[in-house]
Amino acid sequence: MNSGQISEQVFHSWVGEHSDLLYQFCRKRVADRETGRDLVQETFLAAWRNRTAYRAETSVKNWLLLILKRKIIDHYRKAGAPDPLPHEEPGANPFFDGAGHWKQGLYPRAWRVEETDHTERKEFYSIFDSCGKKLKALQHHVFTMKYVDGHSSEEICKELGITSSNYWVLLHRAKVQLRACLEKNWFIK
Amino acid sequence: MASKITCAEAVDYISRREEGKLTRGQRFRLWRHLAACSLCRIFSAQNKLLARFAAERPVADALTETDKDIIIQRVLGESQEGKTDSGSAP
Repeated sequence: MNSGQISEQVFHSWVGEHSDLLYQFCRKRVADRETGRDLVQETFLAAWRNRTAYRAETSVKNWLLLILKRKIIDHYRKAGAPDPLPHEEPGANPFFDGAGHWKQGLYPRAWRVEETDHTERKEFYSIFDSCGKKLKALQHHVFTMKYVDGHSSEEICKELGITSSNYWVLLHRAKVQLRACLEKNWFIK
Repeated sequence: MASKITCAEAVDYISRREEGKLTRGQRFRLWRHLAACSLCRIFSAQNKLLARFAAERPVADALTETDKDIIIQRVLGESQEGKTDSGSAP
């Protein structure tokens, strides 16, 4: 199929064949359903507008995924510049005291991680998602790019246009907040 | 050289260690801190779990048929209006 032949009917079949996969991919990387749906829609819109750029040597699936990945990064970038925290000032982090020790009352406590059945797993991940949504958007994006996509810190800084020191602060905060939230709402209720 | 690190620094080092970003001296300081600090040992274990949870997180919902129809209508609706490549996309 060359690009000139991408008819409305062909486009229909693209949506039919690939929209579920695109949505799954997207929702692994964005916290809420509406954003996931919007990004998939924008992906198909961009694909249709640029259908003359489609080359048959790439699979349609990979081409669409490439567009979606760009859309996700654009969405992440809209989270804006990080707080002006080029360096971690002592006392600025709510989890540590001025001397850099864990604050009393916020000590991490050991979790008992047990085998879970399907329902418990679903409940756990709904808590995990709600804890994720409590993070600042950019903290969440950094955490996701690191642990869902497995990108390096350099790649993430480049994609999001942030400095390395900002990156480490964002990741650090995402983790201490996420762990505290999971502890409070799941592991040690 | 062998100065001690704080818990806040240890947490930071733990993330940097995942990417092999610590110098030998930093690795040693982290190792010594973890040997002495049970709280940061707990954090270090939980750090691995957070990574696992993120990677294994399932997607609980899916596009509905209505969602797919809306995509098709929106995209092909635009093409019928002629190619109005406006910046109106949200």
